[in-house]
Amino acid sequence: MKAALITETMKFVRARVSIATTIMLTVGIGLLCSSMLLAASGDDPNLAAKLGALVDPGGWAGYLSTASQITAIAGLLGFGVVLSWLYLREFSEGTVTGLFALPVGRGTTALAKLIVYLLWAAVVSAVLVAALVALGFVFGLPSVPDAAALATQLIVSLLTACLALPAAWAATLGRGALAGIATIVGVVVVAQVAAIGGIGAWFPFSSPGLWATGAPV
Amino acid sequence: MAEARLAAQGLVRTFDGGVGIRGVDIDVQPGEIHALVGLNGAGKSTLMRVLLGMLRPSDGSVAIEGHDLRAAPNRIWAGVGHLVEYPLAYAELTVRGNLALGARLHGVRAEDIPPTVASVMEELNLEQYADRRAGRLSLGNRQRLGLASAIQHDPRLIVLDEPTNALDPSGVILLREALQRRAERGAGILVSSHHLDEVARIADRVTVLNSGIIIGSLDPNGIDIERAFFDLVHTHDKESA
Repeated sequence: MKAALITETMKFVRARVSIATTIMLTVGIGLLCSSMLLAASGDDPNLAAKLGALVDPGGWAGYLSTASQITAIAGLLGFGVVLSWLYLREFSEGTVTGLFALPVGRGTTALAKLIVYLLWAAVVSAVLVAALVALGFVFGLPSVPDAAALATQLIVSLLTACLALPAAWAATLGRGALAGIATIVGVVVVAQVAAIGGIGAWFPFSSPGLWATGAPV
Repeated sequence: MAEARLAAQGLVRTFDGGVGIRGVDIDVQPGEIHALVGLNGAGKSTLMRVLLGMLRPSDGSVAIEGHDLRAAPNRIWAGVGHLVEYPLAYAELTVRGNLALGARLHGVRAEDIPPTVASVMEELNLEQYADRRAGRLSLGNRQRLGLASAIQHDPRLIVLDEPTNALDPSGVILLREALQRRAERGAGILVSSHHLDEVARIADRVTVLNSGIIIGSLDPNGIDIERAFFDLVHTHDKESA
């Protein structure tokens, strides 16, 4: 297992996909939320109506609630893309034949990929919380954020990372570049439809976003 | 007689359209370079994939150093090196990084990885590319990297599918010498090739595969190995028509 873990870590930390997704999930979501914060501080009543929680309750609570909802959707896509790539790259690049006839079994390699992914997801989730706090201060939010709201953001991010796992399964079964990504896009769409249709509480993929809004799950 | 590095009996694996292998028996002995030749679609790659566990045979068995393929322990797999189809080379890693990765996956101890990698880079003349990313290598150097990764841990069994593909003449010579050195040290080597001249230079035994069946063998020291090969293939094609 140690050899597989070192191997998968080496590949992961140097790959463009993981680096780009890390930036998009941390800086991207952070900037998206903080720019909405900037928009909400204006005097336009129509915009204020659209920005919902950022205006009412507003402050850190509204900002972090919005961030959690965005994380539940954008995070599912981002985590899903990384998982798909992680599990299908050997199939699409043709290097899968090199993973046979080794003292390190394919099951061990697959498990090492999962461990590396979960560790990365935990780091990304923590960095995203730190980025949101830093950007909140930069954009002038008063006082300090509520620890419970920060914990909610962290948990939503971690749950979303776990909910993206079917992408790995689909990528492995589909043996194609788009199988995992198509699956996760489908999951996002169905999760949104379930939430809008009022049955989100019964659909696991909608749960983190609903929980972030304080809805019963 | 020493135990065969690789022994397979009655291997069958066919695909839609009828291609594949049908009842193949093959073995590789210690210290031997055994070449497998055949036309495109003869079943060489399918056979190698079955021998390494990449495809499950519908019938027949494979043993590596006496251990059934499906139950071979890790120490047996640590003594195998192979290159089938694509080299194990990740574009984002350097040549040195890829070789270290390959060595680690083949069970080389952490403290032995740097000298193992340095040694094979020198052997296959890859030192000048040591810190270049694999994604920026030419096709030939990528193949050389894959071959280096397959043989660097001095495996007891080496299986190479069309290893000279994309190699330049100096790469072909370096590979030939590297394989001969390992055979002299007791490795059993199975190599498939289209190049009969190359096979004649390196192989101790040449087996001909046609339409998924082993139809005979060639004398690597024979005068006209090309004519002998085509005689075998045409005779078999006529008989099976």
